[in-house]
Formats: sequence, C-alpha cells, structure tokens
Amino acid sequence: MTLLKVKDVTRRFGGLVAVDSVSFEVHEGTIKALIGPNGAGKSTLFNTLTGFDRPDLGSVTFDGTELIGRAPRAVVRAGVARTFQNTQLFNQMTAVENVMVGAQAHQGRGFSAAALRLPRAMAEDAESGREAARLLRLIGIDEWSGTLGGDLPAGIRRLVEIARALATSPRLLLLDEPAAGLNATETAELISTLFRVRDSGITVLVVEHDMGLVMEVSDEIVVLDRGAKIAEGPPRIIQKDPAVIAAYLGEEEPDDE
Amino acid sequence: MAELLQFVIAGLKSGSIYALVALGFTIVYAATGAINFAQGEFYMLGGMLGVWFVSLGLPVPVAALCAVVSAAAAGALFELAAVRPIAGGDPLRIIIVTIGGSVVLRQLALHLFGPDELTLASFTPGPSIRLFGAAIERQTLWIWALTLVAVVGLVILYRRTAFGKAMRATSLRRDAARLVGIDARAMVTASFALAAGLGALAGLAVTPLTQTAFDVGAGIGVKGFSAAILGGLGNPIAAVGGGLVLGLLESLAAGYLDPIYKDAISLIVLLAVLFLRPQGLLGGSGKEKV
Amino acid sequence: MSSRRARAIVIVISTLTIALLPLVVQDRFLLKIFTFVGLNALVVVGISLLFGYAGQVSLGHAGFVGLGAYTAAFLVARLDLPWLLAMVAAGLVTALGGMVLAVPSLRLKGHYLAMATLGFGELMTLGFKEADFVTGGVNGFSGVPFPSVGALVLDTPQQLYWLVWSVVGVALLLAGNIVASRPGRAMRALHGSELGAQASGVDVVGVKVRAFVLSATFAGLSGALYASIVGFISPSLFTTAASVTFLAMAVIGGSNSLAGPLLSVVLLTLLEYLDALVPGISRTTAEVIQAYQADIYGLAIIAVILFAPSGLAGMWRRTRSTV
Repeated sequence: MTLLKVKDVTRRFGGLVAVDSVSFEVHEGTIKALIGPNGAGKSTLFNTLTGFDRPDLGSVTFDGTELIGRAPRAVVRAGVARTFQNTQLFNQMTAVENVMVGAQAHQGRGFSAAALRLPRAMAEDAESGREAARLLRLIGIDEWSGTLGGDLPAGIRRLVEIARALATSPRLLLLDEPAAGLNATETAELISTLFRVRDSGITVLVVEHDMGLVMEVSDEIVVLDRGAKIAEGPPRIIQKDPAVIAAYLGEEEPDDE
Repeated sequence: MAELLQFVIAGLKSGSIYALVALGFTIVYAATGAINFAQGEFYMLGGMLGVWFVSLGLPVPVAALCAVVSAAAAGALFELAAVRPIAGGDPLRIIIVTIGGSVVLRQLALHLFGPDELTLASFTPGPSIRLFGAAIERQTLWIWALTLVAVVGLVILYRRTAFGKAMRATSLRRDAARLVGIDARAMVTASFALAAGLGALAGLAVTPLTQTAFDVGAGIGVKGFSAAILGGLGNPIAAVGGGLVLGLLESLAAGYLDPIYKDAISLIVLLAVLFLRPQGLLGGSGKEKV
Repeated sequence: MSSRRARAIVIVISTLTIALLPLVVQDRFLLKIFTFVGLNALVVVGISLLFGYAGQVSLGHAGFVGLGAYTAAFLVARLDLPWLLAMVAAGLVTALGGMVLAVPSLRLKGHYLAMATLGFGELMTLGFKEADFVTGGVNGFSGVPFPSVGALVLDTPQQLYWLVWSVVGVALLLAGNIVASRPGRAMRALHGSELGAQASGVDVVGVKVRAFVLSATFAGLSGALYASIVGFISPSLFTTAASVTFLAMAVIGGSNSLAGPLLSVVLLTLLEYLDALVPGISRTTAEVIQAYQADIYGLAIIAVILFAPSGLAGMWRRTRSTV
C-alpha cells in the first residue's frame, strides 16, 4: 500500500530550482532511501514534506490526506516525524526530557491542567515519561537518559533525536543523514535500529550519504541530481544505473549539502 | 496652503532625522541579523557630545566632527566589548546585551553631563527663510543637507568602494564572505561604528532645534525603528523613505488632529506594520521565516 | 542528602520566613518595602516564564502593570465596584491586552516581540498621561481605597503584606506546576531549538502566546494590588525604564528557574532601600547606590549574558554539580 505519495513537487529559490518536479511513492512497511550528490535538493525536499517549507508546485499525500500547507505540528500529528541533518536537540534538557517532548505531541498544550495539577495531566505526564524511557531502552541508549542534550556525544545526539521522533508515534519516519558523524560500531547499531523500527510497522524514508548503510537497509532508492529525480528502484539496479554513476562521478567527497 | 506647506516642512525635518536613525538599524541588521536596541543612545550621544565639545571652546564644525567620530568609536567599542563575544549564538543574548548597553550609555551620559536639557546654537545663525508663506529655519536646511550628504555618501560607500562591497557580501552570506577573504567580524564592528555615527549625526543636527538630554535615546530609538520597519529593515533606501513618511505622518497628524498624536503615530505605525506587514510597506515580499 | 529533599527544605524554610516576617518586623516602612518586594516578585515570576523558560523578551511589562493598576483603580474608586471584582477584571483586561499584543507579534522572530512590546509600553505610558479623564493624567490617580472583601478591610501593613505574598505564593505554585510538567517542557524545548520543537509537534506559537498572556496577567495583578495598597498611581511608575528593570531582574535571576529570579527580585529590590535596612549605612552611600542603580542593572545584564548566561540559577546549578 502506498503510504506517502509525492507528486510533481517543485521548489524554486529565486532563479534556482532546488527541487524540480519530483514524484515518487513510499510503500507502507518499507525503508526507502533518498540519495544524491551535494546540492541535489534532498534536504529541501524533506522540508517541503514536513511543513517546514512550502513547494511552489506539487502535492504530497500521506495515507490519502494532503500535507502541503500544513504546519509542522499538524504534519507530526498526522503521523509523519522527522530528524534533522544538524541535530536539533534541546540542549538544556536531559535526553529523557527531549524524548518526552516528542511523546506529548498528541496531547494539548495543557497550561491550565498543568497549573492545577489535574489528575489527567499528571497521568499523561507519567505516561510520557514511561514512553520516553521505553524508547531510550529500545534504541539502546538508556544509560544517557539523565544527561543534558548539550553534553551528549554526536552519535548519541542522533539516536536521541530518532527516539524523540519515534515518541510522536509516527507511521512514517523521515531521517536526514542519521549516520553522519557516527563511527562504524554506531552505524552498525543504527542499521539494526532501523530494521527494528521497520519491523515494528513504521515506514522509513532516509536521506543518507553512507552508501553501505543505504544499500544494506533500503528496499528502494530514489536518486536526485540537481533537484530532479534521475533514477528509482531497488539497490542492485541503482548501483548499476549509468545516470547515477555519472551524477556521482562529478563529485569529490559526499559530505553535507 | 501655507499651513500645509509648514507641516510638510516640519515633517520632512523630523523625517530626515528618523531616516538617519533608521539607516543605523538597517546597517547593523544587515551585518548581524540582530536589532541594536542601543541605536537611539548614539543619537543622544551625538547631541550631548556636540554640546560638550562646543563648551570646550571648539568651533561648531570641529565639535560636530569630534562628536560624530567619538560616537562612532563608542559604537565600535561597544560591539567589540559586548556583542562580539556572543556573535553567532542565541539572538536573544544580543537583544539583552544591546538593551544593557543602552542603559549603560544613558547612565554614563547622565553622570558625565548631568540631568538637565542642553542645547546648541544653530550652525548658522539668522532668521528663518520665507517660502510661500511658510518659514524654514536655517537649521532645518542643515538637517536636510547633512542627511542628503550622509545618504549619498552611504550609497557611494556601498556601491563603489571595496569596503562597501565587503559589507554587502557579508550581509548576504557570512560564511561565503569569509571564503573570499572578507573578515566578517571586522565588518560587524564597522557596521556598529557606521550606525552609531549616523545616529550621532542626527542627534547633533537636531539639537539646536529640540534641545537634548541624557534620556532622549529610547524615544528616538522606537521612532527610528518604526521608520526602518516601515521601509522593510533590509533595505537602506527604503529606510530613508520610511523615515520621511513617518515624519510627514506625524507632522500632519499633530497639525490637523491634535499634538498628542505626534508621539502616538510612530508607535501605532510600529505596531500596525509589525502586525499587518512585517516585511515593510516599501520593502519587497518574502516574509521572514519564523 | 538528595537534591529533592534539599529543595523541599529550602522551600519550607523560605515560605515560613516570608509568612512569619510581619510577626518579627514591626516597622511600618520596612513592611512596606517587603510588600513591594512581593509586588515585584509577582511581575518577575511571570517574566521568568516568558524569558527564562520560553526565551522571549518583553520590554513592555510595566505597561501591563499600569494597565492592571489603572483598571483596578478606576473600577474601585470611580465605579464603586467591589475590590475583588476589580482585581478579577484587572487580571482579565491585562490578559486580553497580552493576547492582542502577543498573537500577531509572536508569529515573527524574537526581536520583533521585543520591539512590539517596547512600542506597546511607550504607547501605554502615553495613554496614561493623555487619557486624563480616566487616569488623571500626569497628576496621577489618587484615592484608591484599600483592599476589602465585604466588611473586611485590609489596611494594616501586616495585612497588606500577607495579602500580597499570598498572591505571590499562589502565582509561584501555578508557575511551578507549569514548568514542572508538559507546558514547561514545551517552553524549554522551543527555546532550545525552535525547529526541533516544531518537529516534535510542539505548538510553538500557542505555547509562546500562553506564556506571554500569563506573564501579562501576573503583571496586571501586581499593578492592581499596588494601586489599592498605595492608593495613588501615576504614569511615571509604568515607564520603559521599569520594564527594563523587571527584565533585568529576570535575566540576572537566570533561565529555567523560578527560585533564581525570586532571589534576584528580593536582592535587587532591597538594594534600592539599603539605607532603611542596614542601620549603619551612611546617607551618601545610600544615595550613591540609588544614583547608580540603573548602571548596576545595565552592567549586570551584560555581564550575566557574557559570562553566566544562565544567571544566578545557572551558577547555583553549576556549584551543585561540581560538589
């Protein structure tokens, strides 16, 4: 079943076409990778999918509902969570508090309930705490739960951010370069985490430069170059695609865009 | 008709002053992405220092030059001491530091020059000039001339000199500017100095007409910012337009409605523009992202 | 000793000290000073939610204090409404004012809120001066009656002190509950990373607006209490300088804390009345301190931002974690 349908999405900045009429679909229960050389428009596309940016043209439907025009909060509440290329943790909050913020995504703002310590608010808070603790255990970083976000090592920051995104109970998880800054062991752990996430029924769309990871985890790959889709298919086919090889030859080191 | 002309003259007079202060806001904003809440205090310093240098026996042109240069130096010093250490961090901190800076500058002026209103003689004494039944004070001509010189000078500085090109490059992309060998930090310091100098020039030129005191900075700061945001904050030329429009609005409202509206106008304009069209009336589109 | 237990002990001791103070201190003037400390604390607790937790700068909170003060004064003294009703009305009016100001400006970047609140504060001062048919203009508004509920009139310094500090206590309790749970995490989150907060489903604008409205309401209540305790208000009390002072108290007190700002309000407000508090202090010393009060605030907030960005609270947290 198609969970996410991206159709003819175009985003221009002045004269520059960052995303050029890109279409693809993500099927439920799969891991799809979005790859491409620097400046291919991957992060811009991510922003248009999650309400952080609005495309000039095109539509993005998630399980039949249109996402374009919704605020990031509405996108999260519809069931699409994301992480960032530059991790956006809350540095003055502990790892578990970071994840708790995600866990309260479907609750109200709760100012008056919290001020009066209404039983419902207290119960929801306790539930968020349990959920956050569970996710930190699931990802295998529960020994960091009391550490401030700002004091976490880079690799753990990425994992905490994934836990925070998972805490919003998404059906689709968008990861923007989750392996950047991870060492080999951490990357291996990330790969097993991704499989566990998928096996728990969450669909994944991942932007990644680590080709080993991409080839290992993804069921399908979409390749962007200079804003346009140049190839789509399973890893084996993409590896041999001449257009993809040509696009990557021009580039020296796959870093960030 | 003569009455209307008189109001227009008064409006263009204060409008020129607002334009200079507004220019200071846009210059610092372009270089740092932050609003300098101490901008109004340099206007105050311009007038106070001018009075002080004249009291030392310096001739007016020399005293004026000294006042503007000292205020610009104070601006640069403030940036080096308080803003540079936190540059690039939480913008909230820059706001707080410039608020603290404005308090310190105001208190410094109070301790050095006292609490009284001070004044300066007109740059060129003489009776007002009559024009179609309206009167133009000679000092008003000075204000216009100095504003014109400052704006033209600024345009030349930005368009024609290497310094100006570096400033513009910095405002577009700081990291890119660094790649081509521009010291973005020096540009930020220069922008504070330039903004302070323009503010001081305004404060100096207007003192013979309005007097000055240690506490005039906050009020003019709000008006200058209103003018800058009316023009759209990003664009220096639009800021000048914003200043003139604000001056005219104030003068006409004070003249035809009630003088109490004079000060309210800029505040209402400020709130209205912020609420309705934060990219400015004269500026382009492209609303800033939250 | 666990930090939780230490915290509880500190809270109990300070509550008892504040509650029992009037039994020890009999001097009317001193009690009045401690009452003013409470009134400032009420404003600063609200600003701490806004600044210390949600990371938003207001330069116009004195405008809300004034709005609350004039609303209460007008309702009680001119319209003869019951005092309690006037307090509620003052709270509602400032909450509404806060909402009108916050909703449009909080959609924009942080420094626009600072400018919008500055403009609002200046406009309010102008309004207090010019709308003299309601406010009495620059001459002020006098003859506001003491707080009363039915036949009970609170008019002794002790009663007024207890009244103010009970309101502060309730405000602290509400604010403490908020910061300790879901909305508190949302505020700290959006201050930490607005992008991250949005991506976690935080209603960024909604949370900021609520923090702002709550802080405006606390300020308005403080003003309303001031009016009925002192009996006289004038525009010179509610200037931008006062707004900056409140902000400075919150900045110095520190972020992500209510205790830090509370301590800072107590110390900085008492500094103003040093000559009345410390018997041996010479008149000139006291005058010098008063003359340089604003300098102290200005330099202190710069120093805090440069060297100790989390203020008193941050310094305390650091000493505890290194011990």
